[in-house]
Amino acid sequence: MADVRLEGVSKAFGTIQILRNIDLAIDHGEFAVFVGPSGSGKSTLLRMIGGLERISGGRLLIDNEVVNNVDAADRNLGMVFQSYALYPHMTVRENLAFPLRMAKAARAEIDTKVVETASLLQINHLLDRKPRQLSGGQRQRVAIGRAIVREPKVFLFDEPLSNLDTELRVQMRVQIAKLHRQLGNTMIYVTHDQVEAMTMADKIVVLKDGNIEQVGSPHDLYHNPASRFVAGFIGSPKMNFLNGHIEAAHEAGLDVKLDAGTTVSVPVQPDQLLVGKPITLGIRPDDFSPSSAVRKEIAIELDVDFVEHLGSVTYIYGNAGNETVVAKAPKAEPPRGLGKVRLAASPVDCHLFMANGKALRRLHAPANWG
Amino acid sequence: MRFRRSTATNLVLNLLVSLCALILAFPLVWIVTMSLKQQAEVMAWPPSFVFSPTLDNFRVLFDVAKAGATSYGTIKVDFLTPITNSVVIALGSVLVSLAVGVPAAYVLARRDIPFKEDIAFFILGFRFAPVFLVVIPLFSVFQTVGLYDTYLGMIWVYQVVTLPMMVWLSRSYIEDIPKDIEEAAAMDGARPFRVMLHIVLPLLKPGLIGASLLIFLLAWHNFALGLILSSTKAPVTVALLKLLNPGVQFYPVMAAGLVLTMIIPVILIVIGQRHLERGLTFGAVK
Repeated sequence: MADVRLEGVSKAFGTIQILRNIDLAIDHGEFAVFVGPSGSGKSTLLRMIGGLERISGGRLLIDNEVVNNVDAADRNLGMVFQSYALYPHMTVRENLAFPLRMAKAARAEIDTKVVETASLLQINHLLDRKPRQLSGGQRQRVAIGRAIVREPKVFLFDEPLSNLDTELRVQMRVQIAKLHRQLGNTMIYVTHDQVEAMTMADKIVVLKDGNIEQVGSPHDLYHNPASRFVAGFIGSPKMNFLNGHIEAAHEAGLDVKLDAGTTVSVPVQPDQLLVGKPITLGIRPDDFSPSSAVRKEIAIELDVDFVEHLGSVTYIYGNAGNETVVAKAPKAEPPRGLGKVRLAASPVDCHLFMANGKALRRLHAPANWG
Repeated sequence: MRFRRSTATNLVLNLLVSLCALILAFPLVWIVTMSLKQQAEVMAWPPSFVFSPTLDNFRVLFDVAKAGATSYGTIKVDFLTPITNSVVIALGSVLVSLAVGVPAAYVLARRDIPFKEDIAFFILGFRFAPVFLVVIPLFSVFQTVGLYDTYLGMIWVYQVVTLPMMVWLSRSYIEDIPKDIEEAAAMDGARPFRVMLHIVLPLLKPGLIGASLLIFLLAWHNFALGLILSSTKAPVTVALLKLLNPGVQFYPVMAAGLVLTMIIPVILIVIGQRHLERGLTFGAVK
């Protein structure tokens, strides 16, 4: 039962600044996911919360108590490591019992809790095996069990699924999400996989180069990315970016002339000062539709050079002028082969990013799911 | 894919291996046969490989009552005391090296301390210097402070030989333990001392057994330190030297002494072979 608050937290290794001035609040019971490319500082941030890495500046509060100088052993947090980090010389039972032994729990209590945890994760039959006799997925479950057996205040997950194969990863993803619902604890989860972030998180924290790019719900990040970086990072396949410049500003938005030819009026917060400035227009591959469906559309002629059939959807890759574009093909009539395809998208679905990468606020973003 | 050699290559390779084995085994076999011979047989030319073996030479080493009388003269030896000395000194050295070296190695492997590499190199530096460099100045120091010819003094000074080895071996073993495992233990509520006790030491056990065996052998075979810094507490290597007489040379008795000196490490190696191999190859294969 805990909330986690970071106030101006920073981390430096020698002269190298890893994290700068991080402000973040994670509420009790929330599932927060730190996501970002490698080197963004997400794992370091998690390790600082866990007490495995010293905090160079700022304050870290768990349950309103400053814990900057509290040892990892005394923070009462549970952590699952990417490498599982099971104790190889102990059986699964001993692995699960270890945190309780360290907390000096009574014998009988240890036995009950170990069995309870094992049943929760369906690993009862493995209790007397050593970690080397387990498969990757089983090890993962033991690692999770060891983190939850002591009922810590907060669970920390450091890329826990990246060593598993795709099928198992999806399975464990569901299991961790269910576990969160069952236990109701605060969880902080680090991943570089935006799909994991989107499917599990209550709150996604996008990190880049040691800074927080954006904090928000998966819905927020998908529909209202604060920057071109977040827009490109969240969503698969990636958002398309088309270059152009702003021709005019009016009450309903901005008129953008694309280098590819079309002029389109995008409903975003207008700003006279931007007229004449270069701009990047973003459209998600899923927002394209067959040409005639939408009025006031952005029409693009795509020179298709690759078609990817995924079964449920088909993506077409091609060029429009000098820009590379990915688009979801219309379900009714997927393209037969290469050649030219006319696609369109509604300006309502478009995003605009200024030269510095910041997004202009959209006027008609879809309402939140919640 | 199977790797095949021609019969001729096989033959040549096997011959070479046999030759190497023969060269390596010859001195050992020679000493062992010598220890079982009479003085006259030892001196015979050409050497005989067929003889009636006797254990008399071994009796001489321990038979204080008869004062080492042989059929060809009398030699007064007490071989039991030096063997006891060697066992005490070598075991003591291993234990002290474990107690001091493993914590030191842990700090060198895991903690961020200033001049870490310099300290590690300094410790290893003791292995570069000839032992006499340490021994000669220590001789007068030991006599002054009363450590000369004591077990304590010997075990202490043997650390010059054993401690660097223990520190360097166990440092590399500790570095082979994934850091995640220790961090997981910390997250599970274990303070550094308990991480060491419950996680690090059990994982280090096979490596430490191997390292202890190696270090025992190093201590067992040391000669210079015992020669200069002890007399009644002299180790077995020094006692072997004392078998050299000013007059008649009792070669078979000397050979018996050598065999006894070798047999203890050999027994240890046979018992601990599995661990010794692990001690030598630990970390080579993940």
